[in-house]
Amino acid sequence: MRVNEYDAVVIGAGVAGLAAASFLAEKKLKVAVVTKGEPTACLSTGAVDVCSQGDEPLAAIQKLPPEHPFRLVDEETIRSALNKFQQTVNAAGLPYIGSVEKNRFILTALGTFKTSCLVPVTMEASPQNASESLHIVTFRGLKDFYPGYIISRRKNAKFSVYDAGVSTTMSLAAHFEEKNFFEKFLLWLEKQNIYQDKIAFPAVLGLESAAEIVKTISILAGRPVFEIPTLPPSMPGRRLFNALKKTLRDNGGDIYWSWPVTGIEAAEATIEAVTTRSDGRPASINGKAFILAAGSFIGGGLTVTRHGIQENIFHLPVHIPGSRETWFDDNYFSMNHGIGRVGIAADAAMRPIGTSWKNIFVCGSILAEAQILKNGCGHGLALATASAAAKSCAEYLAR
Amino acid sequence: MIKTDVIIIGGGATGCGIARDLALRGIPHCLIEKGDFAAGATGACHGLLHSGGRYVVTDPVAARECYEENLILRKIGQKCVEQTGGLFVRLPGDSRRFREIFLRRCDEAGIPAEVISASKALELVPNLNPRIEEAIKVPDCAIDPFRLCMLNIRTSELNDALILTRHKVTEIIKSHGRCVGVKALDQTTAETREIRANVIINATGAWADTIAALAGCHVSLTPVKGSLVITNHRLTNMVINRLRHPSDGDIIVPNEAVCLAGTTSIPIEDPDKTSTDFQEVETIIGEAAKMIPHFDDTRIIRAFSGVRPLLKSVKTDSHEISRGFQIIDHQNGLFSIVGGKLTTFRLMAEKMVDRVMNVFNLKRPCTTAEIPLDGQEDLSGYPLSRRLEDLKNIVCECELVTRQQVKKIIRQTGTKNVGDIQHRTRLGMGPCQGGFCTFRALGIMNDMNVISPEESMNILRGFLQRRYKGIRQVLWGDQLREEQLVEYIYLGVLAMEKPNARE
Repeated sequence: MRVNEYDAVVIGAGVAGLAAASFLAEKKLKVAVVTKGEPTACLSTGAVDVCSQGDEPLAAIQKLPPEHPFRLVDEETIRSALNKFQQTVNAAGLPYIGSVEKNRFILTALGTFKTSCLVPVTMEASPQNASESLHIVTFRGLKDFYPGYIISRRKNAKFSVYDAGVSTTMSLAAHFEEKNFFEKFLLWLEKQNIYQDKIAFPAVLGLESAAEIVKTISILAGRPVFEIPTLPPSMPGRRLFNALKKTLRDNGGDIYWSWPVTGIEAAEATIEAVTTRSDGRPASINGKAFILAAGSFIGGGLTVTRHGIQENIFHLPVHIPGSRETWFDDNYFSMNHGIGRVGIAADAAMRPIGTSWKNIFVCGSILAEAQILKNGCGHGLALATASAAAKSCAEYLAR
Repeated sequence: MIKTDVIIIGGGATGCGIARDLALRGIPHCLIEKGDFAAGATGACHGLLHSGGRYVVTDPVAARECYEENLILRKIGQKCVEQTGGLFVRLPGDSRRFREIFLRRCDEAGIPAEVISASKALELVPNLNPRIEEAIKVPDCAIDPFRLCMLNIRTSELNDALILTRHKVTEIIKSHGRCVGVKALDQTTAETREIRANVIINATGAWADTIAALAGCHVSLTPVKGSLVITNHRLTNMVINRLRHPSDGDIIVPNEAVCLAGTTSIPIEDPDKTSTDFQEVETIIGEAAKMIPHFDDTRIIRAFSGVRPLLKSVKTDSHEISRGFQIIDHQNGLFSIVGGKLTTFRLMAEKMVDRVMNVFNLKRPCTTAEIPLDGQEDLSGYPLSRRLEDLKNIVCECELVTRQQVKKIIRQTGTKNVGDIQHRTRLGMGPCQGGFCTFRALGIMNDMNVISPEESMNILRGFLQRRYKGIRQVLWGDQLREEQLVEYIYLGVLAMEKPNARE
C-alpha cells in the first residue's frame, strides 16, 4: 500500500476546494485535493455571485442573518479573496470583470436578468437593461437554447441560426477552438447583415480561448459580443473549473481525481488520513489537517435519506433547522425551503461545531444556513469561506 | 350555438368510452372535458387491468365483470395493454383462510388462478421477497390509461364528433324542466360556447355531484383519495398483489420503464383539494417493500393522488365500498354514471349507451367489445435503430421524445399546455420529471411563436409548481439531488424569479 503524506488534504474540487488548496499551496504547504469527480462548478454559469440581495454585495452581506456563514468572515477577507480570485483567473487566461463593490446583471437564456458580481469577460457586454437591440446567433439543433424566450421579452431582438454540424454545447465549444471551423463561421457571420447594438451567443464560444474568440468576433462584427449562460453542461462553468485546477497544479498541489473517500483513519481527536476502496491507487492519503469542501446535496457532501441527513466524509453533526415537513415550503418559488439552511455549522475559525476532531476545517456550499439560491451567494461564498478556512488551517499547521 | 344528440361531460375513461360507443352506433355527440383527457381518477390510478382477483373475495360480481372486460381489452386494445400476468403473494402470517376463499371464489367466477411455489414465483419475479409462502398466478395486465382514452376518443374524432378539452361546463341549460344543453367556458380563450342536445351524460367521476347540481340534481358519492408512488425502475415484470383483504399499499404494477405502487384509501371532502402526505408515502413504501424488499431503497420519482368516485355506502372501511357502478336517470334528460373502475369502463359505457338508445328508441347493438380500438396502427413501437438516428433530436432524454413529436402535437392540438404534450408523448415523465425537457418544449413553442412572454413564464411557473407538488413528498437521495439541480437551473441560472429587474 502506497502512502502519501500531505500537510493539508482538501475534500472536494469545486470552487471552494480548489481555492482553499491553492491558498495553502502558495504558502508552500504540501496540499492534495481529493475528489470523486467533476464538481458542480462545471454546471454553474461561471459567474461569481457574492450576494445578490442588493446593489452592493458587501453591504448586502452585512444585512444577512447573523447565522449566515458569510458573517463568519470579515469584510477584508472577503474583499481580498475575491480580488485574489480575479488576479488568479486573469493569470490563467480567463479574465473576470466587475468589482466586489457593485453587482451587475447577466442576461439569461430565459431573457431575464440574473444578478451577479464578478463575471467572465465573455459576459462583459451583457446588456444591463432592455433598451439595447440584440442579434442572437444560435446553432442548429442546440437543445438548451431557444432565442424565442429572449426575443419575446425584448422587442428589439432578432436571431439567426448557424448550422455547425454538431449540436451540443461541448462539441460546439470544441469546434470553436478549431481554426478552420472558426474561419468558416466568421465568413458566414459577415454575411448576416447585423445592424443591432450587440451580438449574443449561447455560451459555447470555445473552452480554452473563449476570451480571444469573443474578442475576434467582436472586432470583425464591429460591435460588442457576449455569451449567455446555458443549462448544464455549461462551458463557462467548465472554463472556471479548468482555470482553478491549473492554478493549483502550477502551485504544486496534487489532485486525486475519481477518488471517492470511503473512510477515515484517526487517532484520538485527530484525523490522520482519508481512505478509498478503489484499486490501482494509493489506498489512503495522510494529512495533518483536512478541509471539507465536498459541496451540499448536488455535490454529494450531504445525503438525505428517508430517515435523516448525513455528512458523508467525516460524519460531522448536520445542522437541520426543523422537522422533515419544514424542509420544503408549499410554494415552490418561495426560495425559503428549510432544506437550503441544512449544512455543517462552523465557528469563526471555520471549524465544524459539535465535533471533537481538532484538525478539520469546512468551507463552501456545505456550510449551514447559506441559503445560496435565496441570497445569490454561490461562488462568492465559496471563495470567501475557502480563504478563511485555509487561513485557519495554515495557522493550525504552523503551531 | 352547436346542436348535437348527446353531450358527454368528462374525458376520463368512462366519458371517452361512451364517446366511442356512441360513435360506433352512429349517434352524433360532443364530449366536454375541463382539463385534458384522463385528468382525474383515470390518469391517477395504477394502470392495472384487473383480472378480478383483487375483488373476488369482497365483491365477486365486480370481480367477474373485471375478468370479462380484461379479456375484451386484451383483444381490442393490444397497443395499450401489456400482458404481464399477476401474482398474489402470501407472506408469512397472511391468512391461509383468505387464500382458500380466494381460490374458491376465483373458481366460481371463472378467473384462472394457479397456485405456484415460492421458488417458482421467484423465478418469475427475482426481486420478490424470498420469504413468501407461495403465490397465486392470475391474468392481471398493465394498461396505459392516457393511451386508452386517446384511442377511444380517436373513433369519435374519425366520426366528426365535437371534442372540447379545456372547456369547463358552467351551466346546464334547462327548458320546461328538461336539460337541453350546456354552456362551456373555453379555458384558453375565455369564450363561452353553447351546445344543445337531447341527452346529457355526466361522466365526471368525483365531480359528478358538482355537475349534477348545475341541473338541480344530486349524486350521492363517497370521494375516496388513493395515493400512489412511482419508482425510477421497473422492479417487476408482473403485477404483484398481496394475498389478503384489500388494504393500503398492496399492489405494484409495472408500467413502461417504471413501477407504480399503492394505494391508500382515505375518504375526502373536495376532489379538487387532494394532496399526498408523507405518511401515505411511508405506508406505501413500507407495504410494497414487504413484497419486493428492494422497494425500500429504490428511487421514487413521484407521488400522486387520485379520487375514486365510489358509490355512497354505509360501510366504514373504504376498501370495502363496492367498486360496482351505477347509472342514475335524473328524469330530466340528464344521466349520471358513477362508480366503477378503469377495468370496467367499456362495460359502463355500453350500459350507458344502451340507455341512450332507449331514449332515442333505436335498436343498434353495441360493438365496442368486438372492434379493435382505432388509431393503434400509429403506435408501432420505437425500434432502436430509429432511436439512434433520432438521438440528436431527443428533447426528453428520460422518455426519448423527439423535437418533431413535440412540434407535431403543438401543431395538431394548438396546445399551450405542457401537460398535453406530456400525456401524448410521455415527455417529462422520467426521473427529472420534466426538469430539463419542459424548458425545451416551451422553447419550441416560443420559437414557433405560439405563446407570448407572459404566457410562457406563467406556463413555466404553473408547471414547476405542479411538478413540485408531485415530488415534494419523495425528496430524498438522488431524487432530492435532481430536484436541487432543477431548482438551481430555473431559479439560479435562469433567474426566473426576477423577470422584471431593470426592464
